[in-house]
Amino acid sequence: MKHFITFLKNRLRSVFAIIFWLIVWEIISLLIGREIYLPSPIHTAKVLIELAADFTFWLSILMSVFRVILGFMISCFLGIIIGIVCGLNRFFYELFNPLVVAVKSTPVMSIIIIALLWFESDNVAIFVCFLMCFPIIWTNVVQGIWQVDENLLQMAQVYKVKELLVIRYIYMPSLMPYLAAGITTALGLGWKVTVASEVLSSPKYSIGGHLYNAKVYLQSPQLFAWTGVVILLSFGFEHVFKYAVENINKNKLLKDV
Amino acid sequence: MPIEVRHLTKHYGELKVFEDFCIAFEEGKITALLGPSGCGKTTLLNIISGLEPYNAGSISGLDSKSFSYIFQEDRLMPWSTVEQNIRFVLRGRYTDTEIGKITEQYLKMVGLEQYGHYYPRQLSGGMKQRAAIARAFAYPGDILLMDEPFKGLDEELKTGLVQSFISLWQKDKRTAIMVTHDREEAQRIADDIYILAGKPLGIEEKIVGNGKKC
Repeated sequence: MKHFITFLKNRLRSVFAIIFWLIVWEIISLLIGREIYLPSPIHTAKVLIELAADFTFWLSILMSVFRVILGFMISCFLGIIIGIVCGLNRFFYELFNPLVVAVKSTPVMSIIIIALLWFESDNVAIFVCFLMCFPIIWTNVVQGIWQVDENLLQMAQVYKVKELLVIRYIYMPSLMPYLAAGITTALGLGWKVTVASEVLSSPKYSIGGHLYNAKVYLQSPQLFAWTGVVILLSFGFEHVFKYAVENINKNKLLKDV
Repeated sequence: MPIEVRHLTKHYGELKVFEDFCIAFEEGKITALLGPSGCGKTTLLNIISGLEPYNAGSISGLDSKSFSYIFQEDRLMPWSTVEQNIRFVLRGRYTDTEIGKITEQYLKMVGLEQYGHYYPRQLSGGMKQRAAIARAFAYPGDILLMDEPFKGLDEELKTGLVQSFISLWQKDKRTAIMVTHDREEAQRIADDIYILAGKPLGIEEKIVGNGKKC
């Protein structure tokens, strides 16, 4: 009961904060008085409801979600595997580090434009999402591997535990907090770069495409409505992944030890 | 075949821990190493177990030998239960059924049969040490290395564990090397006792055939 009351209180505080900022938005919108610069939250909500009545709205969201998930999953898969190899082996770390540093330092726009040359418009966002998320996952995995308790590794060495078991039962649980942090950061970035890529590559069904059209036709309420959709999806994804990663039952990882 | 350390030299930068150090451990006997803190006893165990390199010298009698090691710290995986920690070192050596039986047997030996599903953070320091002892005894190492194995345990428990250890040891008489500060404990357990001191480390006294088993 006590926990439930605390939970309710926290929820109420969050709701209050959201309402507060919506009111601020409304006031600023009224002060400016021109919808083209800043539409009111009520008008934006109305437009959002109108958009939601159209099948294309949902298809566009679905396709953008697909691109984010695919790009993100590829970066997770490769980031974890290559990160583990680089964390364990200095040679591979030295080999991959310049590449990762180069990708990190390259402006997103350059990557999107290069990707436009290489890929069809449907795949540009997937590639850019992968390329931008990969360094974050990779860096966190490498850091996680380096932070593994040396005492546990010595214990495994003395008891001649096989390398694969050491990776699974010592390295993997140790790097989980680093991986969780990396996934959360990468996912937020993944949304931003995917939508940015869609704006420039304009695939048929995409949130970015709608953002681009709204900008071209000066439809500010639509622009804000679609931006709101991106924020909500990014927020939702981040929370779902955070919850999933934090709640991975470590016993499940170890059930057959 | 005894373990013979010959002319061992080990430096940490300017600090000479061992310089032309020689010592021998009889096969099938328990040897205790007594000496002040920081004199190099743990380093010697680590060198013998292959965890630490050395600058010069040789060690014989270790060919294809495996070790059970009770470290000074418990070195339990914090995300695994006590039972899983023991099972971890037995995997690939026994079948699952055998692993289950062995784990149960050694948890019982150290009085932790009710705590197999507990995580290390849920246990006291002494209980964690007992779990580490169970892991070392459960593992079929040819040589048993013990770095202050009974440290932090109350007298009653310590007596019980020492007795369990002696009866277990009687079964297969593994070569055992034990580091301790406790002269009485060494006299209760060990066949041979080396009293070590100095920097670089040297043997101050050797008591052979101590023979006082509990």
